[in-house]
Amino acid sequence: MDQALATCLAFPPEGALNDDVAYDQAIQAHLLKLTKLLKEPPVPLAQYGGQLLELTDPEYNSLSYIAILHSLVLPNVLGPREFILDKLVKFLLGFDPRQIRYAGSHLLEILFAVYNGLLPPSVAVEVISAAILKIDPTGSMFTSTHIQLVKLAYNTNNIEPAMKVVEKNIVFYPGMANWKRPTTLCDMTLSPSVYIHRETGLTGNVKAAIVLEYDMLSGMMFCSKREWNKAHATFERIVAFPTREGGCSKIMAEVYKKWVLVSLLSKGKAIPLPSYTGPAAAKAYQTLGKAYKDVASLFDTTNAEELRSEVEKSSQIWQDDQNVGLVKEVLSAYQEWQIKNLQNVFSKISITEIRQQTKSAQTGTNLNSDDEIEALIQNMIISGSLKGVMEKNDDGTVFLTFLPASTVLSEAEYAQELTKTAIQLKALEPIFKATNERLGASREYIKHLIKEQKRAADKSELDPTMGFESHVDDEDLMGGVTSTA
Amino acid sequence: MVSADPILHFFTIIESQGGVIVKESPKLDLDLYIANYQGRTRFDRLLLIGRSSVPLCVDALKAAIAEAKGGKDVQQYRDAWECIRIAAPTESESQWDSAWVEKTDKANKLETARLEAELKQYKNNLVKESIRIGLRDLGEHLEQIGDLAAASDAYLRMRPEASTQAHIVGVAKHIIGIVLQRRDWPSVLANVSKMLTGGMSDEEQKAHQPFQKLVAGIANLHSDKFYEAAKNFLEVGDPSICQGCNDVVSSNDVATYGGLLALASMDRSELQSRVLDNSSFRNYLELEPHIRKAVSMFVNGRYSACLDILESYRADYLLDIHLQPHVRAIFSAIRNKCIVQYFIPFSCVTLDSMNKSFAKPGESLESELMTMIRSGVLKARINTIDKLLVAVSTNDRVEMQTKGLETANNYEREALERIRRMNIAAADLEVKGPRKGVGNAMSGISGGETWFDDTRRQLSQAESSVG
Repeated sequence: MDQALATCLAFPPEGALNDDVAYDQAIQAHLLKLTKLLKEPPVPLAQYGGQLLELTDPEYNSLSYIAILHSLVLPNVLGPREFILDKLVKFLLGFDPRQIRYAGSHLLEILFAVYNGLLPPSVAVEVISAAILKIDPTGSMFTSTHIQLVKLAYNTNNIEPAMKVVEKNIVFYPGMANWKRPTTLCDMTLSPSVYIHRETGLTGNVKAAIVLEYDMLSGMMFCSKREWNKAHATFERIVAFPTREGGCSKIMAEVYKKWVLVSLLSKGKAIPLPSYTGPAAAKAYQTLGKAYKDVASLFDTTNAEELRSEVEKSSQIWQDDQNVGLVKEVLSAYQEWQIKNLQNVFSKISITEIRQQTKSAQTGTNLNSDDEIEALIQNMIISGSLKGVMEKNDDGTVFLTFLPASTVLSEAEYAQELTKTAIQLKALEPIFKATNERLGASREYIKHLIKEQKRAADKSELDPTMGFESHVDDEDLMGGVTSTA
Repeated sequence: MVSADPILHFFTIIESQGGVIVKESPKLDLDLYIANYQGRTRFDRLLLIGRSSVPLCVDALKAAIAEAKGGKDVQQYRDAWECIRIAAPTESESQWDSAWVEKTDKANKLETARLEAELKQYKNNLVKESIRIGLRDLGEHLEQIGDLAAASDAYLRMRPEASTQAHIVGVAKHIIGIVLQRRDWPSVLANVSKMLTGGMSDEEQKAHQPFQKLVAGIANLHSDKFYEAAKNFLEVGDPSICQGCNDVVSSNDVATYGGLLALASMDRSELQSRVLDNSSFRNYLELEPHIRKAVSMFVNGRYSACLDILESYRADYLLDIHLQPHVRAIFSAIRNKCIVQYFIPFSCVTLDSMNKSFAKPGESLESELMTMIRSGVLKARINTIDKLLVAVSTNDRVEMQTKGLETANNYEREALERIRRMNIAAADLEVKGPRKGVGNAMSGISGGETWFDDTRRQLSQAESSVG
């Protein structure tokens, strides 16, 4: 027991290992010792594992900690369940990401177990998203854990804790060509696309369908939070997902339908497909999403009655596609958009006139009283979707004054806004660099480069015959002819 | 009023067929009006007036019957008779003149046969010129008896036989005459451009210009290209030559069409320079002084007076064979322009003063203004509380700022999206279609290339819009 404890506490050693190479060597040696300890334990681990966990620090001795934890929870929890699970949560919330890179597959297995019910869902979502961001603070790399996270979060309705992962921009995917095992895995400047790989165990295999499903579920999570803009952007990623050889998957077609509805909610009208949508997919959308397109084309007209009947006509479709909720949202948003569009025509308008001019798509008629309209507008102003103020005239008519959408920023404010975007753009740099390095070092690119250089060399040899001088001569000749003629 | 009932009945039928009905008396005098024209258009115009104008119905139809009987086209007679039979059963013209029909029919057939036989003979002789003449005679005859398809066929066959520039122009004119009657506007334009080709001397060009411009203008008018049509009519040129084209339109029509369409499609300075200061078009305007007055009213900013003049002639325009289907569109275009022009110098106008200038008494302009603002014609906002129309003041600074920030955000989004797509491709995670061999694979690759091109273009557009 003491010996085991000594082994566990041996890493990281006292005093800094300030060199990546030294750190790497030390941790490799430690790994060997740990493996030995776990393979041939002097006493079965179950007896004193708990004590070991108590005595080691999950944040400081993360590598040893995970080794013990792994054997204690998998395949079955050994020892006092509550105590061990408590330790597990602590560990997942606080492990040292540098050490954990050396135990990727262990971590992955533990996370999978967590996903499969080792912890109650509300806790599981919290710890999985924390772990994902611990491993990769930029959140820019997709892993097999991501899909588990969103599935769990969406299906058990624990959306909030997963949001911090879902809101990150994902740009890297596992299994990209030209991966090379880094010499020192502990290098903290590595791009996530380098240290997260099947080989390091931090992610499993990923298929196109999984990537699509992840985006779909995250889009639906945005929908349930009514963040229509974000949902729209997320769905658009799926709708325009890169395709090859005329491909189009079922998820894409399903999401297209949601995308159409969400674009009505976020933009108030149907949006054309992005230009880079796969041609075969675009064709498939046209036939599969016809009912949705029909509704969308009526949304920005003033014909509420027709919109309503169109929606009712296809009610079976909404049910089959499980889009009843979204369609309802669309119907209830219709009048709000009608009111918003009034600001393109009016600067001030009385509440009564608004009531006469806009109809609710839920009933197909005008609202019954001015109070209802007033309440609706009040809500829109409060939620920030409408910029305007309601005032009362001397004669008692209540009216709405539309305010300009954006106010003039002072020079300083504008500069501040610009710096903010500049910083955001700067943040892209590591991603850009990583991609650039990966592509620049790829065999195809180098081949292409050599070929280009060869061609350039060939060209310079050809030059004398097809050169610039001879051309000038030609023109001179012509000039002479015209002048004498 | 014995005849009132059949006329009412007649116009109910016309209305159910979707025809235009003009109840007001036009300013024109039927006899004088029709005397301006020659050829088959006379009948067409009479029939149109007969079918549209309530006050002129019977007179026009009677004249149409007379016109038809003066010619050789049995179908024309039948058309006119079908109308008058319902509209004025008591008139003597409503009796079916079967003797004339039979006689004409027989004569027509004989004539066709004779001309065809002649043509055959010419063909045997292989003399180009006489074949051409034979075809022309046949075509003209067929046109007169109303067999337009066969006539255009005959004219088309003239083309290979044409040996001089004049012949080619002649063929084109014949064909245009036919397609005009068949209302096939795209072919009119095509044939007009055919007429233009070839090295014509200035003089010839001048001689043909009126016809060319006229028919092109009519075709553009019917294709709803008002601005092009207006330009065509304004460039018609020499009125004395134009007089010769009165089998299509009269000089008065040129003035009306040109003036109206210019009002509908040009701004004030253009109207001044192209219409009022146009020396050749002035000759036409003299024929229709009210058009000239309307244009100068518009130029001088007296919009309601201009609209009043046009409104008083609405019935006349509705009885014109070419204007009839477009009167509503032209009028509303002119009206919209008047409102827009009226509003330009102001930042804020009371709705009352707008109503005073433009609305019919007792009506409000509001809904019309709303449609205009919605469609983007009028850049203004309505204030229904203080009853004002307020101009939209664009703040360039705000616009620039929002645009700048938007571009930066778009750049970021697009960069991320592109890197993401590259990485998806690198990880071989694209959604693939069913493999169908090499050809398909190739198309997949080219699809990828277009995508790269596309985004690049978008990006550069976004950049340039900033600069």
